[in-house]
Amino acid sequence: MDSSQGKGRISRDIVNQLSVIVRTAQIHDPRNVAVASAVEKFVSGVNGLMLEEGPIEIEIVGEYFYLNGERVKFTTEHLLNFDSLLREFKRRRLGSVKFVCETKPEEVQAFLGAFVSSQYAAEPFEDLRANTERLKCISVGALRRISEGAEDIRKAVKHTYFNAVSFTRGVMNRIKTGERISMKKAKRVVETMVDTLLEKEEFLLGMTVIKDYDEYTFHHSVNVSILSVALGQRLGMDKIKLMELGLVSLFHDIGKTVIPNEVLNKPGAFDEEDWKLMARHPLSGVKIIFNMKNFDSSSIRAAITAYEHHIHPDGSGYPAARKLSELDLFSRIVAIADQYDAMTSSRVYARVPMSPDSALALMVKRSATQLDPLLLKFFINLVGTYPVGTLVMLDTRELGIVTGANTSEHLRPRVTIITDADGNRISPMVADLAEKDGSGSYPRSIAKAVDHNRYGINLAEYFL
Amino acid sequence: MVSAEDIKPAQELIQVFQRARKNLRIYPVNNPVYSKTIEDAFARADDFLEEHGDLELKFRQNEIMIGDKTIYSADREDNFAFFFFRDGVRELSFRRGLTLDEMKGFLQAISFDFERQSEDDDIVTMLWEGDFEHIKYVVDGSFLLEDEVYENQATARAKTEPASEVDLKRIYDDVLMEEAAARQTQVIQVTKADLLALQKEMERDQQDKLPRLIEILFELFRGSSAQEYGGIVNLINEAFEYCARNGNLRMALGILEAAKNPPGGAEDEGLMKEELKRVFEFACSPGIVGMLGERLDSGEILDADAFDEYVRHLDKKAVPSFITILGELKTMEARKQVINALVFLGEKDIHALAKGLSDDRWYVVRNIIYIFRRIGDKRALEFLSRAAHHQDVRVRMEVLKTLGELEGHGMMSVLKEALDDPETSIRLTAVRALGRIKSNSSKRIIMDRISSKPFLDFEFNEKKECFEALANWNDPGTEEFLLKALRSTSFFKRARMDEFRACAAYSLGLVRCRSALEPLEKLKGAKNGLLREYAYKAIKRIEYGQ
Repeated sequence: MDSSQGKGRISRDIVNQLSVIVRTAQIHDPRNVAVASAVEKFVSGVNGLMLEEGPIEIEIVGEYFYLNGERVKFTTEHLLNFDSLLREFKRRRLGSVKFVCETKPEEVQAFLGAFVSSQYAAEPFEDLRANTERLKCISVGALRRISEGAEDIRKAVKHTYFNAVSFTRGVMNRIKTGERISMKKAKRVVETMVDTLLEKEEFLLGMTVIKDYDEYTFHHSVNVSILSVALGQRLGMDKIKLMELGLVSLFHDIGKTVIPNEVLNKPGAFDEEDWKLMARHPLSGVKIIFNMKNFDSSSIRAAITAYEHHIHPDGSGYPAARKLSELDLFSRIVAIADQYDAMTSSRVYARVPMSPDSALALMVKRSATQLDPLLLKFFINLVGTYPVGTLVMLDTRELGIVTGANTSEHLRPRVTIITDADGNRISPMVADLAEKDGSGSYPRSIAKAVDHNRYGINLAEYFL
Repeated sequence: MVSAEDIKPAQELIQVFQRARKNLRIYPVNNPVYSKTIEDAFARADDFLEEHGDLELKFRQNEIMIGDKTIYSADREDNFAFFFFRDGVRELSFRRGLTLDEMKGFLQAISFDFERQSEDDDIVTMLWEGDFEHIKYVVDGSFLLEDEVYENQATARAKTEPASEVDLKRIYDDVLMEEAAARQTQVIQVTKADLLALQKEMERDQQDKLPRLIEILFELFRGSSAQEYGGIVNLINEAFEYCARNGNLRMALGILEAAKNPPGGAEDEGLMKEELKRVFEFACSPGIVGMLGERLDSGEILDADAFDEYVRHLDKKAVPSFITILGELKTMEARKQVINALVFLGEKDIHALAKGLSDDRWYVVRNIIYIFRRIGDKRALEFLSRAAHHQDVRVRMEVLKTLGELEGHGMMSVLKEALDDPETSIRLTAVRALGRIKSNSSKRIIMDRISSKPFLDFEFNEKKECFEALANWNDPGTEEFLLKALRSTSFFKRARMDEFRACAAYSLGLVRCRSALEPLEKLKGAKNGLLREYAYKAIKRIEYGQ
């Protein structure tokens, strides 16, 4: 194996090839020629890496693959294969596949046979495990439950989140007073956010449900940045691009710093003049960005996004353009994240926020004109049918709040249950709705989504 | 883990890194020392890791440590440990399997001059972007904290409305009463077609963003009030500078074209145009033209057509800027392009161009004179007399060539003077110039020179050049003069005289003087070989045009 290729690429190729052989084996018999040649390629990759690394474990953590503890990064071209393999793993409650010694194609074919047949079993993972126990070099592990160290992770993520909000507040205040902004610091803040998203996406996405009415603009900027980077990650963007997207989206509303506080925090409805002022923030944003940062590729991108994020693909929105130009990819991503966060937040001109699922439903309606339909599709896949923060009633009559999405089964997110079946408050308890009971059926399913805003439920209680 | 006896090799490795950092800052990327430094450092690090295992360094303000052992310490504030420490790096580890590319990335990161090259980055960002598999670091991000108490305050604020006060039972009852089923936004599986569309989207995203930004800046300009024009034009100029710095001439052209055609019909169209003039002034400025010069000199392929087109958008104000870079450019190709630019621009302001004649560098002066010649404007002649006495022979020569091409009738004294120049090349050039001017006085000067006593002793080439120049006048007077020269005889210096006559024969051939055939025929039998040969050639030319 050519070590100059880099382990990252080799890992990606191995996972990608595993997806290929799984799909091929679902169509053909595992001993078929088409499967055999794909299996050989996979075996050669695994054995090659094993020479350097020793045993190899491919594992799912959250929504991503890890190979020997390191996250396997993918690009857009691998997205479909990774996504499909993730679903196949999760469908079987399969968490990991371990190769402990030099593997032979026949053994991988036997594993594939067991893998394919397990999908029809009542308890797929147990079936798969039983049928692979005889294999010498390949073993399987069950999908891990939410890790026990979740509290520590939550603390670290919370720290990252509030540090970003506090930084954004500082930046905006300094712009108001004409002080200089440290882009170095901004980059470091965003780098931390990107790292957190890459490793603990679900936790950081969970933080976006925290809304602070008084500090809306700062929270909103950070939330839009998190949602944009998460979407960018789903689109297969690399780390550097995610950082650029994070930075650009963090400053998308920077033009609002020139809007007087009396207007921004006006308790009553906005009059025409107020709206005119608000509508100028994209233009101000461009000027501010170039005042705080020299012309370079990232400031250019930030300026474009600051200007375009309220212009719709059909040319409507603001500022009104003389000619219809194709909107930048970052602008379209930010527009989705911006609308979603704004709709689910309480703002001065829309006191009562929408529930996450209602917001999503409205965005889908707008997708033909106001939002990019393709990107919105990926966004919905990211946040799920029941986005994090949605209050739901389960078919068990328990009330719960969605605290984590489940990519392979969108209708079965992770839910923090807050009442028992009689409506009595209980100590919050996390349930993964994708988990089946001993009889192979789901013990809990969502019956209804409820607008938590109607009842004044403070989601922060469950996410902080 | 490195043990106590491994301290020395680790110390040596730190020194290798420091030396490499210094070399990478001094030598350009294409210098062999640059790549050798990286290869050597990699070999040393690889040997270390092979022999001692992973290297785990800890950083304090003035110290680098392995475990509790200090392997580097310094008092100076700008020490190697502090370089990492100040940006928050507390631990740095090199692991087995380190690749040459990773070492290169690492050394490039530590040799980056953050203050001069990019204020927006620091060592942590560089390491982060490097995304190295075998180089890991631990950062203390506490200095990033904007407000230490913010997190606690924000958390407290977010929890001001505890869920315990919410009547969950009421929610429960309400929800049970509602008939509506679960509201679902259908998640649609991503299809292959979606992925293809996405891939195309990503490819499109690689395209230059500048055109869109420029569109936006001009939209912004149009949408602004008169008071804001100045600020927006400053932004447009910054974008322009960015284009120039990166050699994006097409985009710079785009800006100039957009600035040339502000929207018609606007109330303050006049004011808009006035403000946008600053874009053109900026395009002519020494800073911008200097940047273009650097790009031209860099050897990178620059769109030559775009450069020409760009120059055509400039006005005479750009002349001094281009003269400045003319003296600074190092490559012939770059000078050629700038000379072409000055030929175009100098025509608009000959006086501004003439200022370049005062430059201390001979080659700038010579090039300016050459530009005058290319422009072909006789107004340039008035500036040339000063340069005719330039101490550098190459400049003097260029002046004479130019005088010839511009037919500088009023500059006879300069040319006449040049005929006495100690440099043969200058004298020859002056003769040629006189020939090109073709005036009576220039003919007289040449004839006088040929008739002068010392002329006989001139080198053959110089004599020939004078006769050749005289051939520019194809008139009876000239023929008569040449025939007389052909018939000249002398008792002394016979060989010199034969050369003289050979030159006359040559010139008669050039003017195709048929009345010279008879004396030339006679010379076919001359004793002197040169005279014979030239007489023969002249006859052929007169008779057959060969």
